[in-house]
Amino acid sequence: MLLDIKDISITYGKNPKPTVEHVSLSMNEGDIVSIVGESGSGKTTVIRAVLGLLPGGGKVSEGDIVFNGTSLLSYDVKQWQSLRGSQISMIFQDSGAMINPIRKIGGQYVDYIRLHKECTKQEAWDMACDMLTRMRLPSADNVMDSYPFQLSGGMRQRVGIAMAMTFNPKLLLADEPTSALDVTTQAQIVRQMMELRDEFGTAIIIVTHNIGVAAYMGDKIIVMQHGKVVDSGDRDHILHHSQDPYTRNLMNSVPTLEGLRYV
Amino acid sequence: MSERELVLSVKNVTRRFPASGGRFLLANNNINLELYRGETLCIVGESGCGKSTLMRMLLSLDTPSEGEIICLGQNIAHLKGEALRQHRRHIQMVFQDPAHAFNPKMKIKDILCEPLLNFGMIKKSEVDTRARQLLEMVELPGDFADRYPHNMSGGQRQRVGIARALAIEPDIVMCDEATSALDVSVQKTIIELLVKLQKEHNIAIGFICHDIALVSQMSHRAAVMYLGNIVEILPSDRIKDGAMHPYTKALLGAIFDLNMDFSKKIDSIESEIPSPLDVPVGCPFQDRCDQCMEICKKENPQLIKMADGHEVACHLYTQTRKEDK
Repeated sequence: MLLDIKDISITYGKNPKPTVEHVSLSMNEGDIVSIVGESGSGKTTVIRAVLGLLPGGGKVSEGDIVFNGTSLLSYDVKQWQSLRGSQISMIFQDSGAMINPIRKIGGQYVDYIRLHKECTKQEAWDMACDMLTRMRLPSADNVMDSYPFQLSGGMRQRVGIAMAMTFNPKLLLADEPTSALDVTTQAQIVRQMMELRDEFGTAIIIVTHNIGVAAYMGDKIIVMQHGKVVDSGDRDHILHHSQDPYTRNLMNSVPTLEGLRYV
Repeated sequence: MSERELVLSVKNVTRRFPASGGRFLLANNNINLELYRGETLCIVGESGCGKSTLMRMLLSLDTPSEGEIICLGQNIAHLKGEALRQHRRHIQMVFQDPAHAFNPKMKIKDILCEPLLNFGMIKKSEVDTRARQLLEMVELPGDFADRYPHNMSGGQRQRVGIARALAIEPDIVMCDEATSALDVSVQKTIIELLVKLQKEHNIAIGFICHDIALVSQMSHRAAVMYLGNIVEILPSDRIKDGAMHPYTKALLGAIFDLNMDFSKKIDSIESEIPSPLDVPVGCPFQDRCDQCMEICKKENPQLIKMADGHEVACHLYTQTRKEDK
């Protein structure tokens, strides 16, 4: 078992009512789990909790998160530092916002690598270029020498994935990784994320509101509403055999090419 | 379908923005479009393809560098002053993000009735009753008239946005990504409302969208834009099977559809969209097209009619047409 989220509840600040209630999830190496739900359903909160990144006084008030046999909730700052980036890493909705806008990609990437691994700047630079090339970014040296604003949204997202994958983490958390992208770019990024699993055996949790993407990527799909899991199961179950009214309504709302025409 | 009434036609519209170094950014290149009463025309394309620029020109928020926009028999491309103000009652807009589309300090009833008061269509004393009617038209409780925009959910706000656009009974409503900020279940109800209101009021809707699956469900015709050019115009019921342009096919291939074959790898074009600052000579799609030919690098293909209401701009089909003759 790689990750085991045991019945967690998460509260923010002094609000006694938990934002996320009794969520459980377990996954093995190489599994892909999709979490879908509408805005405000608590899907991002769950994966942020896994990486200890809950903002503004959020804390896990009940339950436990176990990664590779150890509980993450007791980690101190040092332990988190060694875990983040090398064991578990995260891709954000807009990687451009995570990259420092006034520094070139190269310098930041090298710093990031040297934080986790003892090596010279040149070695780190080569490693970064290699990773960018693997993410199919054309002319890696050119990208390293660019500022974030000089890259397109799709390229920035690829830089984000390349950085997240540098140390070959066991678990990748993707928070709406394609929501800000155009459809053709979205398809490219999704395909690359699927290849990560084939190539590195990475387990992925993808949070998205695009149910098509969730169904395509996920071996298992979790549907959340108001901070609770309302339904979970494999693709076939969620898409076609769900008994839950909310899930059925959600599936019926997704525009499809063969769907009902309104006009 | 009986006689269709043309309400808006765009003729050879080009828009260039000056850029540094004496260059020009070609946002719209020779656009021709027609919009009929009671019909929905969707404009589909990726970010940066010029769909919002086109819409801004249709709404007289921007003026074309070349070409004419004819609305109800009048060229509106260069209207000014009072003539422009009077014209605005014919075309109204629904914005993408309803949270930012309203003055946060105005009550809903004032938001809804401001255009009516501006055009002198109601008296101040009628504001309350009229606002209630408008809210009921978009299936909201009349009590919302005394609320402020921040007291409402995104879907409710978007309904108010639609009510405001329809308040002065325009002939045309433009929606700029009106549902993309909303959750799918809310999106569905908003689309149903738009379609219902369109039938009741017989308005023409111009809808900008990047979700081609949604377009195929809710529009009569769809225009696909790429890098400032319209590459294909087709009836929406033909999108799934009848699309001809390689770019339209690429868009279709990149959709994650719930009915798709999940074991199949998703198709997508690998490369990036070129910068609109230096659009290649010839077909705009040449760099990413796997069926690119010699001629595509020299000549920009024009839209040619393939079937009734179906036009495509691609040399693949120009060739076959010539051979047929």
